[in-house]
Amino acid sequence: MDEDVLPEAAQRRLGSGAWSSGLSTADFAACVAMGLEPVGLVQGFCVMRWGWYGSGNPYMSPWSPYASAGGRGYSEVFRCPHGYGMGMTGGDHRSWGQNYEQSWVEDAWHQGFGSAYRRLVEEAAEVGAHGVIGVVDTARHLTDMSVTEFHMVGTAVVVEGAEHPKGTPPWTTYLAGQRLAKLIEAGFMPVSLAVAMSSVRVWAYCMTDYLMEGRNFTWGGYGAQEVDQVIRARMAVRQIARKHVRDQLGGDSLHGARMDTYGWSLAEGDEVVECTLRGTRVRRFKGFDPVAPPTPTVRLT
Amino acid sequence: MTDDAAGGPDVRAELRRAVAAPASPGGGKGVTSDLSIDEALLLHAIGWEPVDLVCGVSVASVPGGVWSWGAGEIAVASEAQGMAFEGAVRRISEECGRVGAHGVVGVHVEATVHRHHIDVELVGTAVRPVGGPKAGHTFVSDLSGRDFSLLRQAGWTPVGLAHGASFVYAPRRSAGTSIRQTGANVELTNYTQAMYAAREAAMERMQQTAIVMHGAGIVEVKVTEGPMPFAGHAIGFSAWGTTVRLDGEGHRYVRPRMVLPLDDAVVTFEAQSLRG
Repeated sequence: MDEDVLPEAAQRRLGSGAWSSGLSTADFAACVAMGLEPVGLVQGFCVMRWGWYGSGNPYMSPWSPYASAGGRGYSEVFRCPHGYGMGMTGGDHRSWGQNYEQSWVEDAWHQGFGSAYRRLVEEAAEVGAHGVIGVVDTARHLTDMSVTEFHMVGTAVVVEGAEHPKGTPPWTTYLAGQRLAKLIEAGFMPVSLAVAMSSVRVWAYCMTDYLMEGRNFTWGGYGAQEVDQVIRARMAVRQIARKHVRDQLGGDSLHGARMDTYGWSLAEGDEVVECTLRGTRVRRFKGFDPVAPPTPTVRLT
Repeated sequence: MTDDAAGGPDVRAELRRAVAAPASPGGGKGVTSDLSIDEALLLHAIGWEPVDLVCGVSVASVPGGVWSWGAGEIAVASEAQGMAFEGAVRRISEECGRVGAHGVVGVHVEATVHRHHIDVELVGTAVRPVGGPKAGHTFVSDLSGRDFSLLRQAGWTPVGLAHGASFVYAPRRSAGTSIRQTGANVELTNYTQAMYAAREAAMERMQQTAIVMHGAGIVEVKVTEGPMPFAGHAIGFSAWGTTVRLDGEGHRYVRPRMVLPLDDAVVTFEAQSLRG
């Protein structure tokens, strides 16, 4: 898709004089009360196909994924404690395993999400908006599991009586209505969405395989045990997502963070675990005195 | 600051000012938080602030064969659930300590029982008193920022997440009992008894963890119970909540004020009533 150019139909619609908005009535009323005027419902789309092959993907390597993760970032190796190499285990014994960050998956996800986001912001800039509020983003599979649609929708707004700062892209936020008003009253201004995705692949070694498949008794004891390799992968995927978001903040704060994790087991202890972290990047623009301690109330209805 | 007629800040003027002269990015380490703006403001009102989003995860294995028919408690599965909870709490506490916070509030607890492993995942926001010293001990609490601030106002403090779990076999009915109960409306006492057995063991374990933490009690207890989806004859019961104790001399009575909201939510007329 040609960057920096809106489709002709979109330009015609946005310039028609009437505006549309995705705000609820309550949010609309609250926004108008604080001087935010809707100018249009803006959207961004990107449809991505997920391939097996890509830069950094170990499947491209002639070597086993065990040999080199290929990507960048987190990687950790786990070695068999059962004396492999000294004739104490069979040939099918999973003598070592690896956790590694699938940076090519993260790059592809960020490309899809980033493109949809950029198109949303371009539409908002086209209508002369100061910002986009009440953004909702979705990612869903289309037709088959290897095609994903990223969709973002929000309401472009102008600040009544304010000039547009030159050369500054519109700010964006998931917030709208009273929540946005409270944020501004508290001395914070939204800057942009801050969103990151992380992906970690677990190639199980023997212990993980046994423990995740209920075969604890095969090697060393019968009882509950923590599965170290999987725990480290699941902790790492969250830490990586936080690091990616923190890299976007540049000293600002993340408000209203939402962390979602999802994973799927493959076989014999192998699994992929992914995490998305999203929120609104906010910047303090004034000092703020703490509010008075709240007064507990009992409703008479 | 310009004030509006109601005495509060004029948000329109604030907004215009912020847009006209955008602030420069903060120089320090930014805060990440999953608290709502209300919760963040309430925390500030009692002198606390969010620091960072933290998490803790644990996966404990359950050996094969434990879910087959038996009698009494499935001790290995109960042990696995306890181990997973402890591991996740330990890891989120460690993250909390690393970011220099005093505790974690609003912890979302997700515990999933699979046939061969039990997963526990905790995510919450690490908090600390504004300008407070480094904490010697960190607490983990699933209370919201709102509840945390109310608890502090009342003179109490959270000390940790208490938890307990138990899995119990619902014993097989005898052939005679099974035949007698076929087609009848009767209580399946083997299931009822298994539920009670699991409940007592889990609640006792949860209270024991609270005692170990030197807590006075547990608030906001959540329970999950029921047969396992992969083994209908095995009943599981889990309970968790925030252990609290008095902070200082005693309970401070929070005197609520009565308010009469003007947004009348009561439906006084239903069109259907016209039909008699």
